[in-house]
Amino acid sequence: MSLDKDETHQRLKAAVHYTVGRLCQKIGQDQSKEFSRQTIAAIAETTFRQCEIFAKDLEAFARHAKRTTVSADDVKLVARRSTALSMYIQNKSEELNQEKKSTGKRKSKDTEESRDQGL
Amino acid sequence: MKSKNLCFNLNFLYLFQETVNKLLSSFFKEEKTRCNSDVVVLMAEMLKIFVQEAAVRSQKQAEAEDCNQVDIEHFEKIVPQLLLDF
Repeated sequence: MSLDKDETHQRLKAAVHYTVGRLCQKIGQDQSKEFSRQTIAAIAETTFRQCEIFAKDLEAFARHAKRTTVSADDVKLVARRSTALSMYIQNKSEELNQEKKSTGKRKSKDTEESRDQGL
Repeated sequence: MKSKNLCFNLNFLYLFQETVNKLLSSFFKEEKTRCNSDVVVLMAEMLKIFVQEAAVRSQKQAEAEDCNQVDIEHFEKIVPQLLLDF
């Protein structure tokens, strides 16, 4: 069981590492600066640990509200520490809500389209 | 070419959301804790900002030290403030 968990963690870490690499490459291209492999690995590791902290906070907030499902309000609480970030997350959350309201019927079509793109 | 790139980015984002979903559920202490779909989108966005912030700040540090490559020491210098900001 624990071995299995370790392996999924390793795989998730690899996935995070890949994404961080891509993002760094993109940012590096804009400023014509390269990121060393070590830096990318360090950023990936920090992100992984930070995600653990976020997840535990989310769970604690949800439990405090006597829920077992984490909701968007909990994410807003996680983002409370910096004003700009919390504003951004709030706007994003409102956007998502509006999208849901206006395209409630279109949603099934959208998922079909994205599936086509995936193929 | 551009639309292909956009499609790729969308796929990339979708993949990342999948990763975030699995990451969150693997970190929850209680098995029965679930996420709704908005949470995954928002958390993916937040982690993306975290990474971008880390990258841009390290890059600025490298720029200040007049280095061509962003090295681990630049990241080490910005990491305390980064963690305090999130």
